[in-house]
Amino acid sequence: MNPGMKLLLVMLIALEISFTQSLIVNCILIAVSFVYILTQHIRMKALLGIIFWPLFPAVGLFVSQWLYGSAGIHFAWILFTRIYAYVFLGATFTLTSSITDLSLTLEQDFHLPSKFAYGVLAAFNLMPKIVEEVQIIKTSALMRGEALHFWSPKLYFKSILSAIQWSQNLAEAMTSHGFVEDYERTHYKIIRITALDWTLFFVLLIIVQVLLFFIRY
Amino acid sequence: MTDVSINHFTFHYPESDVKVLNDINITFKSHHFSLLSGPSGSGKSTLLYFIAGLYPHFSGNDAVGEIKFGDTNIKDIPREKVSQSVAMMFQNPNQQFAMDTVVHEMTFVLENLRIAPDKMDDIITHALEFCGIKRLRSRVINTLSGGEKQRVALACIVAMDPQVIVLDEPFASIDPDSREDLINKLKILQEKHGKTIILADHDLTSYRNLVDEFYYLDPDTHHINLLDDEQAEHFFKNFESTQTINKKVEVPSGDDNSILKINDFKLEPHHSLLLKLNHLDFYKQKTTLITGANGIGKSTLFNALTKLLPYEGTIVFDGKDIKKIRPLPYAKNVTLLFQDAENQFLNITVKEELDLSLANRTNTDYTQADVDDMLNKLDMAGRDDRIVYSLSEGQKKKLQIIEMLIMNPPVLLMDEPFKGLDYHSLEVVVGFLNRAKKDFHQTQIIISHQLSGLDTLIDYHATFKNQNLAYQEVIK
Repeated sequence: MNPGMKLLLVMLIALEISFTQSLIVNCILIAVSFVYILTQHIRMKALLGIIFWPLFPAVGLFVSQWLYGSAGIHFAWILFTRIYAYVFLGATFTLTSSITDLSLTLEQDFHLPSKFAYGVLAAFNLMPKIVEEVQIIKTSALMRGEALHFWSPKLYFKSILSAIQWSQNLAEAMTSHGFVEDYERTHYKIIRITALDWTLFFVLLIIVQVLLFFIRY
Repeated sequence: MTDVSINHFTFHYPESDVKVLNDINITFKSHHFSLLSGPSGSGKSTLLYFIAGLYPHFSGNDAVGEIKFGDTNIKDIPREKVSQSVAMMFQNPNQQFAMDTVVHEMTFVLENLRIAPDKMDDIITHALEFCGIKRLRSRVINTLSGGEKQRVALACIVAMDPQVIVLDEPFASIDPDSREDLINKLKILQEKHGKTIILADHDLTSYRNLVDEFYYLDPDTHHINLLDDEQAEHFFKNFESTQTINKKVEVPSGDDNSILKINDFKLEPHHSLLLKLNHLDFYKQKTTLITGANGIGKSTLFNALTKLLPYEGTIVFDGKDIKKIRPLPYAKNVTLLFQDAENQFLNITVKEELDLSLANRTNTDYTQADVDDMLNKLDMAGRDDRIVYSLSEGQKKKLQIIEMLIMNPPVLLMDEPFKGLDYHSLEVVVGFLNRAKKDFHQTQIIISHQLSGLDTLIDYHATFKNQNLAYQEVIK
């Protein structure tokens, strides 16, 4: 499916289950997403990660609702499954779509300014460098006798300073590589939203509506 | 024929009266290889950014005067056509790509130039072939070495096929083989493909028989002069003399006085081997100089010594494996003076920076009078309220050195500590370092290309070469 459409669909469904209370629909969404992810040849580690990490907030919500909430254990299970539904829905997008394809479709089909599409992409590709930079900032602070933690304002100040510098450099580099804002470009890889994409999008969305309408438990 | 002519060109940064470029009148000849030299921070980059059409768009304020490509003022070239005339290669290999892989980046470049999609594959293949990096086509850019990234940057330029290529210290952080290879490719582009090459560099290694013209940006007058052969020769000789000192040093042995011991050590970032050591010691209360070509792994070794990078093997500090020492105590004992001074700053003003060092230092060997004296001698007194990021590169370096001396760690690693310092300041700093060693028993390990003026400081010398680091008697 077109990554832009997929993202939109995932976000719509996630929004919907935030306002509806159906345990069974949550479970169906989790199951369907899970099967879909399994068909996409995902690394075992990533798969275990999305099962394991949400356990903490999910159990936390479950226990607090069950023991201290007024709506009972049924609602606690809804909260529990809702967390997993969010994560698995999100994973159907993040684990199976390329960020490059997403920005291509955002630029070509959703008519986002190309500056925005490529800016996001460039920032995404800088992620590993950002991690390194934070490590350097922390080590350098230790050498001045200060331990910076993730809540330390100085860490953010320094990171933002680097980010401003990088974004400037990147903008210059993109310009030097011939990029001109709002000017026509050619496209090597054309990404179109096909009839199949539209059909899938609406069929899936309607199925979810029907489920939510009929299954209230 | 497109000469690049600069006419009555004057520029100063906003909020500064100093004219970085003062009434420049020069012509970079078409099909020539021109070298623009001058000390770090003298304004070479600024001029190149204007020639590449990036300034004034990214600089905030404009310059007086004009830059012409042939008969056309650069300002009259439509923005989408500029890249047909000129392309730029930057100093930092890490911040010139927007996409993830090499082929995606090159496609991005060609799309920007509105090349027909069916022609792109051929252009990309040809450009990669020319740069000798066909094997890198589908590689993720983040996993490439500095030298490889700069080759990709050149491949992008080859694909763009502009008339003029400007390069801003493109070899500052890449290994000697890549450097030589890239220089040869540039020479071919100039001679066989009629490109005009304008390259700025303060490091004059290997340009002597290569360039057609040598321009010098004088840091005092902010003028640029075309040098004749004799003058150029003088600069080349002068540069070589800063890279050598005649001093014989001892080769240390044994481990009686060692403070850092490296054993069965392997440094292999991005899966390319940089350094393999069976055993090497650094010695207490001595100054060890490490020399070696750019991009060979010297700074990476410092990153391993400060636990910024993973490595194989063991590093022992004062009898203890550094992996077993907690981060804060270790950082206070083995401290790095970063190559980029801004990395060291945590606060906003000069006074806050100094106060932080005074508050957090592990010992009080330096008195307030000592600190004031250091500030005076380096002409840094009375700048308490200045914002550190607004200081000149030289001033940042001076402040950084003073604040790290105040911290007075037992082991101080210094990565190019003299970069951007004038010769007088260098002598003053060498005096400070000698004092720290004699009076406060500091161990110092220095990476430096600048060698003249360091005679009195250096005790041992280790050369980084062929993935090995070994002590030598002679310095260069």
